Amino acid sequence: MDTLRKWAFEQKTMMVFLIVSSVMTGAAIVGQAHFFVTIVDRIFLKGASFGEILPFLGGLLAVMAIRTALTYLNGRTGVKMASNVKRNVRRMLLEKYTKNPVQAAIHGQSGGKVSVMMDAVDEMDSYYSKYIPQVIQTSIVPLLILAVVLYEHVYSGLIMMITAPFIPLFFIIIGIKTKAKSEEQLDKLAAFSGRFLDTLQGLTTLKLFGRAAKQRELIEQSSLDFRDATMTILKIAFISTLMLEFISTLSIGIIALEVGLRLVVFESIAFSTAFFVLVLAPEYYLSLKELGSAFHTGRGSMGAAKKVMDELEETEQPVKWGTEEAVMPSIELRNAGFQYGDGFALRKIDAVIPPNTQAAIVGRSGSGKTTLLHLIAGLFDPVEGEIMVNGRPRSNYSEKSWFDQLSYISQHPYLFSGTIAENIAVGGRDGAARAEIEEAAKKAGISSLIESLENGYDTPIGEAGRGLSGGEKQRIALARAFLKKPSVILFDEPTTGLDLKTERILQQSMNELSKTATVITVAHRLHTIKQADVILFLEKGELVAAGTHSELLESVPEYRHMVSVQQGGAVE
Amino acid sequence: MKDLMVVIKLMIQEKRDVVLSVFFGAVAGLTAVALFALSGYMISKSALSPPLYIITIMTALLKLFGSAKSISRYAERYFSHRATFTILSNLRVSFYEKLEPLAPGIFGKYRSGDLLARIVGDVESLQNFFLRVFYPPIVLVIVFLSTIFFTMFYSVYVALLLLAGLLLTSFIVPALFALRQRKIDSRREDRGSLSTEVTELLHGFRDLKIYQKLDEKEKQLIQSADFYVNGQEREGVNAVFNQSVNTLAALMVSWCVLALGAFLVTDGQLDGLFLAMLVMISLNVFENAAPMAVFPAHLEDSRHAAKRLFSFVGGEFGEMKKELAGQLDGQKAFSIEMDDVTFTFPGENRLALKNIHLTIPSGSKTAIVGPSGSGKSTLLQLMLKVYEADSGKVLLDGMPMEALDQEMIWKKTNVVLQENHFFFGTIRDNLMLAKDGLTDEELATVLSNVKLDSFSLDDPVFEKGENLSGGEKQRLAMARAMLKRAPVWLLDEPTSSLDALTEKGLYDHLFEIAKNDTLILVSHRLTGLEKMDQIIVMEQGMIVESGTFDELMEKKGYFYEMKQIEKSVFM
Repeated sequence: MDTLRKWAFEQKTMMVFLIVSSVMTGAAIVGQAHFFVTIVDRIFLKGASFGEILPFLGGLLAVMAIRTALTYLNGRTGVKMASNVKRNVRRMLLEKYTKNPVQAAIHGQSGGKVSVMMDAVDEMDSYYSKYIPQVIQTSIVPLLILAVVLYEHVYSGLIMMITAPFIPLFFIIIGIKTKAKSEEQLDKLAAFSGRFLDTLQGLTTLKLFGRAAKQRELIEQSSLDFRDATMTILKIAFISTLMLEFISTLSIGIIALEVGLRLVVFESIAFSTAFFVLVLAPEYYLSLKELGSAFHTGRGSMGAAKKVMDELEETEQPVKWGTEEAVMPSIELRNAGFQYGDGFALRKIDAVIPPNTQAAIVGRSGSGKTTLLHLIAGLFDPVEGEIMVNGRPRSNYSEKSWFDQLSYISQHPYLFSGTIAENIAVGGRDGAARAEIEEAAKKAGISSLIESLENGYDTPIGEAGRGLSGGEKQRIALARAFLKKPSVILFDEPTTGLDLKTERILQQSMNELSKTATVITVAHRLHTIKQADVILFLEKGELVAAGTHSELLESVPEYRHMVSVQQGGAVE
Repeated sequence: MKDLMVVIKLMIQEKRDVVLSVFFGAVAGLTAVALFALSGYMISKSALSPPLYIITIMTALLKLFGSAKSISRYAERYFSHRATFTILSNLRVSFYEKLEPLAPGIFGKYRSGDLLARIVGDVESLQNFFLRVFYPPIVLVIVFLSTIFFTMFYSVYVALLLLAGLLLTSFIVPALFALRQRKIDSRREDRGSLSTEVTELLHGFRDLKIYQKLDEKEKQLIQSADFYVNGQEREGVNAVFNQSVNTLAALMVSWCVLALGAFLVTDGQLDGLFLAMLVMISLNVFENAAPMAVFPAHLEDSRHAAKRLFSFVGGEFGEMKKELAGQLDGQKAFSIEMDDVTFTFPGENRLALKNIHLTIPSGSKTAIVGPSGSGKSTLLQLMLKVYEADSGKVLLDGMPMEALDQEMIWKKTNVVLQENHFFFGTIRDNLMLAKDGLTDEELATVLSNVKLDSFSLDDPVFEKGENLSGGEKQRLAMARAMLKRAPVWLLDEPTSSLDALTEKGLYDHLFEIAKNDTLILVSHRLTGLEKMDQIIVMEQGMIVESGTFDELMEKKGYFYEMKQIEKSVFM
């Protein structure tokens, strides 16, 4: 894959280092063979004394040390290169995730995104730590050996040249023949490996139906099937290694026969040369074979890289901000619209929400209520039309000053990892005093609960900490708003599942907060709707009408219809 | 180590494959050594101008060893991998056998959803135990000892040197690394925390953005991502280092063999003809020691995995499998009573249920309502003996819960939980779970009774029922319960994803077939409760009021107010 390679070549120093060290490795291999052969030759045939070979022994020792050091440095460089790429890719992904406002609209896909960030990035590792260094080494070392052998004994070199292409050729043939088969098997494998997890997750259901004992055999059976399917794939891999070994032993055999005959029958070659060639030949074929196994590991990274690329190529729609300070705004939507991909669209919304009013957004589920709230919140920019604040485009104002004016209370407020106090303080300006926090908690009706906890306001909550119920989370979100004293509150009213106490507190609090702020509510309660100064009635992403409850009841038949269906006709 | 013994026991079951792996591994190692020894000998011999037939014989032998080596390497790989996967299967089965009696109670103890996935990962990582930890050292020792024995015929000193090399590369160096390995804590935790943080970022995106904490969070995330990668890098570099040191040690031994051999030749104690052979042997035999460099890492990994695995299911053995005397009468719909029951979830401080008193007569219909988190589902779990009360009494048919066997209770009840599991397979497979000997007609009738006529019995179901909508899953779960036809129904919000009309049709049918049964329905909707004999209203783990629909409406208490709110809620 091109991008994978591009990221490798971006690390120029490392690549250069790999090339240089590969050349040196080749030289070390040749040197090692040279010293080894010389020592044996001197001792065995030339009758040299031990003292005479000492320099060669020293040379051999040095070459061996250098060769291992190079192997280490090569491996280390691969690992570092992989780390650099992983680090950068994670940063790029994070950048993408945090700058992409559409994120807020597609909650459901977070599992896939986490897996890209974790697994896919990790799977790219072997491409850099194994494949790239091996490719470089294999393109250099055999050539060096070949050059030396050609120089020493041209016929052996020629045999090497002729036999070498069979190894990649064989890889290609095997690859073509088995690709379809192994892909089919891989699908099966994925299914099998999920089965065990499936059974464990369904254990409760199995036990309730008294079926748990029977599953034992099923697990065994599917594990054995898994084994057989895996073995089919592995057998292919093993056979291809077997064939490669045959090719290389055969080639080495031919070389041995050739030098042997010359040495014994024709006596046209020196022992040292013959031995030298024989020692180098296995190194030559070994290096070629290793490329094959590296290739397999490298291929595994391709799929992972594709997932990462898909994620990085997703379009970004950053929200534009200016520098002016926003103050107590009136909000106006002028023909505003928003669309996410080819999916859901919000169209032609025209509305004026003066300061300190209460606006309600009403409509069936799927009519675009939450999207409209996000649009007003400044989480998205409108794709068409404009949002005016105090008569000027919202994009004139600075992001900070805008969000400083704003509170958003969703159906499922998010609690940060931290203490309760920190979670409330996140709403306010920096450095809110404990007393202010406690006051806000009191107004939100949650102070008595907090005080009943062992660590009070310092109790950790959020991901790792103590769980709060839905109603309690709502009240923490309210406390944030009380502390922040925003001029605009966006509120996604809960549908069901709250306790009466939270219901009451929510109602009181919203009344209280609305005295000093514009409140825009995605409304689910008749009470809220009746109180609203203006109702925005949405249907299928379009604003059907705007007005008060009684106005809409009178003039908009769809609204009247919806209300009467929901209330079983009991609305006056 | 005790945990690994369990794994070893499971491994020994596959005697044949284990023995074959070791056998072929040893043959492959030995033929490789022989191949190199012979080639060293042959080249030296050739220098002395021997008759041609000697060369021919030796070339033939070379071919023979070469082929034998490749084929036995193939056989070794085949048998060792086969053994590995069979062992994996044994592991899964044995783990399942241990886990099965502890479910579902054990799942409550570990709330985290990905725990099971991790467990499965641990089982899988134990497959390396045989492949990388158990049998390679055996092969290594066989090959080395045979080689050393062979070498002794030529030079005792060289043989001793090889022995020293074996100890150095296979035991001393790996042992040193093993000591270092223990100090490096596993990457798993870093990975876990990074993954949690990414999830947090995605889930909390809107609030993070509005509270302008996004940059802070991003910085924090970059930090933990880098921390994780740096750890991985250290580990990777460490592995490369271990391997290199081992290679260096092996090369040094071969160097010593060469130097010593050369000295012995000049000293007249060794025929120069064998020098090349001995060095070739040494260079090759240490290739068998290379896997020992990664041995400590895999051993440590296997140890951790085995420990985690067995600590998960271990501990509470024995106490669970008592024979319990109490018997629930055949097809009779039993009554349920609770007397001052209090309950806390394991590992939590907050009371989940407080002073619960209730009586559910045989054959009566009861609804339990209340806000989410008020303890409705917990009440059901106590009735099913998934958990046992901290204090107070739970009586089924007048018998105390302690005397009753979980499985007997489950046999007598039709349970629909909030989360019902559906298995990979077909609709038929999933329905057939309900009871033995169901015919296709019965299944099809039930499907139409729950308004799932559009499904055929052969339609596929993916893992966890991923291809089904929430409403479809709920109706399938009801269908399963209806097929079981036990005399007591415990239903936990079985229709929360259905529209009102479908829900009503389903309930009408349910009440018809359950006419004489005891039925308990947890519901967060307050519609359709008029027919109930009793409505129990819960809040914060307590019963705030109970009575019939009319009584509660009359009383104008909690239930009445909830009903008012529900009336005013728009969708």
